[in-house]
Parts: sequence; C-alpha cells; structure tokens
Amino acid sequence: MAKKSKRGTLVETAVLAPLDWVDERTAAVRGTKWFLFRNVPRDISWAQTLGSATLTAFIVQTLTGVILAMYYEPSSSINPTTGKPVAYSSIEAITNDLTLGWLVRGMHRWGASVFIILLFLHMGRVFLFGAYKYPRELTWITGVFILVTGMLLGFTGYLLPWDQTAYWATVVGINLNGTAPFLGPWLAQFLATGPEIGSETLAKWYSLHMLVLPGAIIGLIGVHIYLVTRLGVVSPPWSGERAGRERAEAAPTGARAGLVRGGTSGGGK
Amino acid sequence: MARDLGELNREDFARYKDDVKKEGKSFFPRALFHDTVMSLVVVCVIVALAAIWYFDADGVKSGILGPWYTEPADPATTSFVPRPDWYFYFLFYLLRIFKWPETVFIATVGIPTIALILLIGLPFYDRRRERRPSRRPVAMVAAVLTVLSMAVLTWKGATAKEALGSELVAFVPEWAQEQGFADDPQAVKGAELFAQSGCLNCHTYLGQGAGNLGAPDLSSIGQTNEATYFVRYLTNPAAFGNTVMGSYAYLGQENLDALGAFLAASKGG
Ligand code: HEC
Ligand code: HEM
Repeated sequence: MAKKSKRGTLVETAVLAPLDWVDERTAAVRGTKWFLFRNVPRDISWAQTLGSATLTAFIVQTLTGVILAMYYEPSSSINPTTGKPVAYSSIEAITNDLTLGWLVRGMHRWGASVFIILLFLHMGRVFLFGAYKYPRELTWITGVFILVTGMLLGFTGYLLPWDQTAYWATVVGINLNGTAPFLGPWLAQFLATGPEIGSETLAKWYSLHMLVLPGAIIGLIGVHIYLVTRLGVVSPPWSGERAGRERAEAAPTGARAGLVRGGTSGGGK
Repeated sequence: MARDLGELNREDFARYKDDVKKEGKSFFPRALFHDTVMSLVVVCVIVALAAIWYFDADGVKSGILGPWYTEPADPATTSFVPRPDWYFYFLFYLLRIFKWPETVFIATVGIPTIALILLIGLPFYDRRRERRPSRRPVAMVAAVLTVLSMAVLTWKGATAKEALGSELVAFVPEWAQEQGFADDPQAVKGAELFAQSGCLNCHTYLGQGAGNLGAPDLSSIGQTNEATYFVRYLTNPAAFGNTVMGSYAYLGQENLDALGAFLAASKGG
C-alpha cells in the first residue's frame, strides 16, 4: 500500500469512513451507486425524460404542499374577524398577505395540472414504445395506480379553498359517487360525513389530501422507480441500434452490417 | 420450432441486458443530464403559470387563468354552476350523455371501471413481443381513438354552458304567468329559490335547465303530488330512492315549504 498524503487521510477519516460505516449497516452507498452508475441503452430519447419530469412535478407538489399546510386551516366555521369561513380566510391570507404565498399557492395549484398532464404524456410514451410488455408489466400497473391516486389527489385538493367553485364541484362529485350500485350511497355518506357538507367533510378531505393519498402515492412511486431501475428502460423500438435487437445468426462482423441491421424482423426489443 | 412465448421473452430480455451492459451509456451523468434539463423546463412552466395566474387576476376577479378564488362557499344560495377541475371534464360530460336515471351509473361507474380494467390488463391481453408502433396497428388505432374521444369529451365539458342562477331568476315572472301562480307569493318565492338553488343544473323546467344525470323535467310535476310530499322529498331524496339529488334540508323549513308550493303549482304550462 502506497503511503497516503495528509489530505488523503483526512478525506478518508472525515468522509469515506463514515460512509463505509453507514453502508456496512444499510447498503445505502451500494444502493446509490447501483442507481446512478448503471448503464442505460445508448439510444434513449428525450421522450424518456418524461418520467423523471413527472417526478419533479410531484416533488414540487410535495414541497409547496408542506408550506401551504403550515398556514391553511381546514374549518368551515366563520372567522369572526373576516366574517368568512376560516378555510377561505386562510387561503385569502396565503394569497394576499404571506410573503410569496401567492407563488407557493400558485405553484401548487398549477403544478397539479402540470403533474396530471405529464402523467398522461409519460403513459402515452410508454404505450407508444410498447414498454409495458414483458418484463415490465408491474411497472405499468403501479403506474396505473399512481394515475388514479394522482387524480384523487386533484379531486380532494379542489375542495380545500372552500369557495363556491370548490364547494359545488364537490357536492356534485359526492352525489355522483352516490349513484354507484351497492357501495355508492355508503361511499357518498363517508365522503360527505353526515347530511351536510361542512367542517367535518373538510377535515376528512384534508386528511385524505395531505396524509393518506400522498402516503399511498409515495409508496407507489418508490416501487415504480425501483422496478424501472431494476429492469432498465427500453430503447426506442424503431432504433436500429436498440438494445436487445435480434441479429442474424453468425453474422460476419462489420462487413454486411447494413444488411444485418435492416434484415432483422419480429420482436426486436 | 414453436417455442413458447415465455422462453422467447426471457431470451429477448437477456439479450437486452447484455446489450445495455456492452453498448449502453452510464445513467449518471449522461442520461441524468437530459432528465435535469427537462425537469428545469417543468419547474419554469409551473412558476410561469403561477405568475400569469396571480398577476392577471385580482381576488375574485378572473384573469386568463381564472380568479384567485371565487366567493366563499355558501350552501344556502346555490346559484353556482358546479365545475370540476379540467381533467375531470371528460367524466362531467359523459354524465350529460347518459341522461336517464337508470343509465347514470354507466357514466359514473361503468365506463371508468371498464377503462381501468382495460388499462391494468393491457400487458396481459397485448402479449405480442412486437414493440414497433408501425407493426402494432390495432394498438395504435385504439390509442388514437382513446385520445380523440378524451379530447372531444374534455372539450365538450369545457364549453358546456349552464345558465347561472342569477340569469334564471329572470324567467320567474314568465313561469308564474304560464303556470298561473303569479298571485301566489309563496309559489313565486319558491320559483326564485328553484332558479337559484342549482335545481336546473340537473332538471329542466319549461325549456330551461340542463337535463343532466337523469333528472326529469319538472314543468308538470304538480300533477303528480302535492306540496307536503315535495317538501318531504326535498328534505331527504335518498328516502325516495333518489341518490343523485342531495338533501335540501339546509334551506330551512320556510324555504322548503315555498319550493313545495311552487312544485305543486307547476301543472304544466
Ligand atoms: C344533482 C342533480 C339534481 C339536482 C341538483 C336536483 N335534482 Fe331533483 N332529481 C334529480 C334526479 C336524478 C331525480 C330523479 C330520481 C329518480 O327518478 O329516482 C330527481 C327527482 C326530483 C323530484 C321528483 C320527481 C318525480 O318524478 O317524482 C323532484 C320534485 C325534484 N327532483 C326536485 C328538485 C328540486 C326542487 C331541486 C332543487 C332544490 C332539485 N330537484 C335538484 C336530480 C337532481
Ligand atoms: C408519479 C408518477 C410517475 C413517476 C414519478 C414515474 C417515473 C418513471 C421514470 C423515472 C421512468 C423511467 C423512464 C422514463 O422516464 O420514461 C418510468 C418508466 C416507466 N413508467 Fe413511470 N412514472 C409515473 C407514472 C407512470 C404511469 C401513470 C404509468 C402507466 C400507467 C407508468 C408506466 C411506466 C412504465 C411501464 C415504465 C417503463 C418504461 C421503460 O422501461 O421504457 N408510469 N417511470
């Protein structure tokens, strides 16, 4: 072993040793390396950045949501100073009074739409590439559950400002749930919490919106990304150098490359 | 010759793994760079939307991206047109297609459930190994049709017009004239409530209203029952097997009596 420089020893004790210590117990460093230093097909396209773009939109929702939760109050009782419902007044205060509150709320509100659009675009890309086929079926299925959870997040969040738009869209939404056979009326009852839509409804939807559904979607996203990393992403199916393409048996290397590439048929992956 | 599908799939995937290992590029930093660029674009779009929304609107005054909020939720004056967030417009519009009470649940439950099953099941019924769009004509046609119908439904939902309660009130004298209850102040008050309470978002009355969710025309409802029955009906529609319409108990007894009088006086113009 070569003698270490002073700086080398310092790095060793201050950074690497603690990392080793953690890695020995958690495999966190190995895991990160596994995630970052894997190979992906060399011909992947821009369309394949849509998944991580969706993740970014979700992270924006999480961060802005946490800030909103610090100032938002889920109550429909009347605030004595403003004479308006407490929830509504807190939304007004966030938009008008809180420093950059408008930006946080605006980003959360519009981020939701961007998130939904990206979900659909990403799903469309996966469909176009046939990337839901073997062995990525479960990646697709977790994706579908993410889509549903994402739309439910939008639906429950819509009520929270407690303005007319929010309230009446929700009344109709709850009544619609009521039309389902068997479980419908029960579901409507659960969502509305009692004969009238009020504070209890608001509290319930708030907890769905900021605890239950995000918990579920974060779990699903975790599984989704684990599967993507484990299985790898596909090459664009029309690419001539796609990973997993079929080669003609015992093709002479080099010489007739064009023929070899163009001539393969069937399920090139 | 006829090797089984599972075997072929596994071979394809083994070849894919091999190719990625030999010819692929590292995820970090090369693929991650593209992901980061795309993510930055997403964040910028979200911030831009938030800024346009905020600076173009002012309180309840709408800008091109809508107002900051509408008036506070008010269960009593329901002159508000319910409108969900845009990504539910397609569902919202489906409901107008299935107007009859027996068919409402086709739109609210049936179609979404079938769509979900089709989505989740996709990797299991589309089992061919082929990924190239040009060789998956059925999948591509199905995708185009799905996108088109979603787009049309969303567009129709976005542009669907529903009269505002405030505009409908203008019809009250006309109704009173035609139905002959102009000299009954209680029925006239009921008619005003009827116009303002969102009844016409579902029902139709003398040519006004939406005809949504299977709600019947009420122009000649007075021929079927009397005021006390209608009051009981409005207090708890669910007890009459109507799970679409919410309870109007919150309007208070006096208002309910007025609505009852109005409905009883509506014998058909
Ligand atoms: C969310 C949609 C919706 C709204 C809003 C609504 N209704 Fe209804 N209503 C219905 C449906 C659907 C039916 C038919 C139910 C059935 O046939 O079982 C109905 C039935 C009725 C009936 C009974 C009709 C009959 O044939 O016996 C009356 C009366 C009535 N509504 C009055 C009202 C009044 C008054 C209002 C406003 C205060 C109102 N509705 C608001 C959906 C609605
Ligand atoms: C929060 C939502 C989601 C996140 C964060 C996410 C993230 C990702 C990422 C980062 C990838 C890597 C490749 C790429 O970026 O295209 C990926 C791939 C994939 N996603 Fe998603 N996704 C989400 C939702 C969905 C949805 C709604 C579906 C479909 C219903 C889906 C199905 C798939 C499939 C099958 C792959 C593998 C594609 C391949 O191997 O080429 N995902 N996802």
